[in-house]
Amino acid sequence: MSAQENKPKERVGVYVCHCGTNIAGVVNVGEVSKWASDNMKDEGVVISRDYKFMCSSLGQELIQKDIKEQKLTRVVVGACSPHLHERTFRNACKGAGLNPYLCELVSIREQDSWVHTDKIAATEKAKAIISGGVARVIHHEALEPLHVPIHPATLIVGGGIAGIQAALEIADAGFPVYLVEREPSIGGHMAQFDKTFPTLDCSACILTPKMVDVGNHKNITMLTYSEVQKVDGYVGNFAVTIKKRARYVKTEDCTGCGICWEKCPKKVIDDKFEAGIGYRKAVYTPFPQAVPKYPVIDDINCTYFVKGTCKACEKFCPTNAIDFTQKDEIMTVEVGNIILATGWDLFDARRVPNYGYGRLANVFTNMEFERMSNSAGPTGGNIVLRDGKTPPKSVGIVHCVGSRDKNYNNYCSAICCMQSLKFAHLVHEKTGATVYNFYIDIRTPAKGYDEFYQRIIEEGTLFVRGKVAEVTDAARNPGEEGKLIIQVEDTLVGKQRRIPVDMVILSAGLEPRSDSKALAKTFGISCSADGWFIERHPKLDPVATMTEGVYIAGCVQGPKDIPASVAQGAAAAARILGKIQQKEIALEPVRATIHEEQCSGCRICNTMCPFNAILFHEDKMVSEVNPALCQGCGTCVAACPAGAITGTGFSNEQILSQIDGLLLLTLDKKETVPSGS
Amino acid sequence: MNENVIVSDPPSAGPLMHEDLELLHEVALLTPGDSHLEMCIQCGTCGGSCPSGSAMDHTPRAIFAMLRAGMREEVMKSNTPWMCVSCYYCTVRCPQDIHITDVMYTLKNMALKSKMFQDTTASDFSKTFISYVENYGRSFEIGLAGIHNVTHLRLAVRLPNMVPMALGMLTKKGMSPLPPKRIKGMNDLKKILKRAKELEAA
Repeated sequence: MSAQENKPKERVGVYVCHCGTNIAGVVNVGEVSKWASDNMKDEGVVISRDYKFMCSSLGQELIQKDIKEQKLTRVVVGACSPHLHERTFRNACKGAGLNPYLCELVSIREQDSWVHTDKIAATEKAKAIISGGVARVIHHEALEPLHVPIHPATLIVGGGIAGIQAALEIADAGFPVYLVEREPSIGGHMAQFDKTFPTLDCSACILTPKMVDVGNHKNITMLTYSEVQKVDGYVGNFAVTIKKRARYVKTEDCTGCGICWEKCPKKVIDDKFEAGIGYRKAVYTPFPQAVPKYPVIDDINCTYFVKGTCKACEKFCPTNAIDFTQKDEIMTVEVGNIILATGWDLFDARRVPNYGYGRLANVFTNMEFERMSNSAGPTGGNIVLRDGKTPPKSVGIVHCVGSRDKNYNNYCSAICCMQSLKFAHLVHEKTGATVYNFYIDIRTPAKGYDEFYQRIIEEGTLFVRGKVAEVTDAARNPGEEGKLIIQVEDTLVGKQRRIPVDMVILSAGLEPRSDSKALAKTFGISCSADGWFIERHPKLDPVATMTEGVYIAGCVQGPKDIPASVAQGAAAAARILGKIQQKEIALEPVRATIHEEQCSGCRICNTMCPFNAILFHEDKMVSEVNPALCQGCGTCVAACPAGAITGTGFSNEQILSQIDGLLLLTLDKKETVPSGS
Repeated sequence: MNENVIVSDPPSAGPLMHEDLELLHEVALLTPGDSHLEMCIQCGTCGGSCPSGSAMDHTPRAIFAMLRAGMREEVMKSNTPWMCVSCYYCTVRCPQDIHITDVMYTLKNMALKSKMFQDTTASDFSKTFISYVENYGRSFEIGLAGIHNVTHLRLAVRLPNMVPMALGMLTKKGMSPLPPKRIKGMNDLKKILKRAKELEAA
């Protein structure tokens, strides 16, 4: 289609934004604006303006006034990325009575002024980008958003503090919640901790009331010992397949009396809840305040499942609640929105061989120390060496284990400084031992955190600035005999030091769950290279994801402490409550459509679609896109060998015209590339 | 302006080339490959790991801070690079992937060229070592220790105390007092070393 045909049809307004000096510092915006009105009259440009902040209300009013007075039928804004302000300008057009999809936002900031320093070349590039936008916008069609109803129920995956907070917020507002937890009890890592920084509240004392609330809430369906297997559908209408593992305990009969685990003869090292320093039985609840109170039988270790005899639990159960015939159950629930709050895994400290964890008995991890310090833990809250009885006289706490290190994880794990300071306090309080903290930088930025640091200094903890080089038991002098020696450069003195201690605690960092990439795929969201889930915007939209209806909260998004996790859980809940209240959701009408007569039925698009939005009609041997599932990503459009798929808003005509515009071919009629080339 | 105005920061323009960093950049440029020297976070892993750390007048970490501060003379006079035994502990453990051992070689070269350092025992040791490698294609410990200690009077006074250790090495450890056999292909090695020197000079 050539430009002449369109010239009388459309009246285009061009708006060039300065973005303060973000664009105007590199691009001569006045020149670009004048160039557009002088050179693109034939393309339909009737007015062109530049303005300091196009996104401000004054800038938007400028566009709206022109739409009315100049009778504009198309608008092109040259400003920032559509990620930021496409909605702003579409809404401005809508406010003036122009269909919002007749507005095109082209980026002369991220794609021009921010990436160039040559002002003349950048100005020329801005002209080309605007020209491409004008050539494209002429082919835009007026579109209406798709409206779909929202199912009022919400799925929350992960029963740690972030998931618990989100579940209670939504349930308290009167809407149903399914809370799925992989372990036999909700509570997450927070249930394992002893004290919480900086106030030193007992972790269980502040967490268990919330757990009980979840257990008793009429709007919350708890699915513990369960995992999500599959997610179908789309925002407002997800169908989630959940596997409920067999507990071998009839929850309707069980009273949680605990006789079964008392009588169970099989002891198992508890490497989950007790971090490997304590035992549980083969039938167990992870901890006394577990919610739900019903135990599970661990069929890998249970003597009956291994050898076929025993059944001690069954014999002694006063309510006959044990049922060895139970099978895993698959169930499907329908929900409108999803929150992922699956938390984190602990960095495996064995990966740092020079710190000796797993080789030197008295090197402990942070989670081992938490359990040791917890009065409900394996040592009854006594801080002792690996022999189980000797209290340490001196303790070294090593920061940044597996964090801030290109050999392991680049990122800062965010909680280790405060956690290490807390450990110093607990060791002081419980043993009176000399405590050293070995740190690179002390990071205590949140409320009350630096005050806590001051308090720990006052208590007499010794701070050595230096990343520990190694922990060894090879003594060089009699004073080092029988000790663990921490070798480090005291960087503030500039000398190497060897400090003998009885116990070393490694502040191992936080890592994404080992299966986080598979989880991201199940829910159709993206992971960073590290494995943390990616939020929609790192500052302005931290709990939403690029997939509508799927939210993230807590450490699944990146390392963070309890207050931040709680805030994110509540934030995600608030976002979802807002959606549920609207009862329906407007979806972007940018969708792919398959032209049935051109489709060869090869099914290439079926497997490529990241949103499982394409279904195949066996009878007609053609594929079809479900418009509610389609996110308009364009993968299928590009993949179709027959060219049978069109993306709304991204038709061949629109794309090729934009390319012609970018190359300024539309301005030179003689050289216009024939369509289809 | 209303609440719709969101102005993000532009991306950074890369490492700063400030004149204060002249020395740091000079060392980085003279080190083969990307040494990541400018990425040092002063954590002290290198200084803590170094088996010769206690003999150095400045730890490697401190040297990097001095490079950043433009303290050319102090760095050139330092014994730090000469005490490096190329064990690569620091390089393997460095959380910023800085090629510390390589930088130590650069500093040795720069120190020799600058002629700023006064105590030549360490650099002479390297030269004696290399001369054996150039002549025999391998090192010769007894000869190296002998020549090194004899040619430096300050060290020669230590010799009587070292006799028991030397005897032990000769008798128990099977070390030969005779010069070693030249390796096969000595001429080829000489060609390689000659070419390497030409490349270095270029």
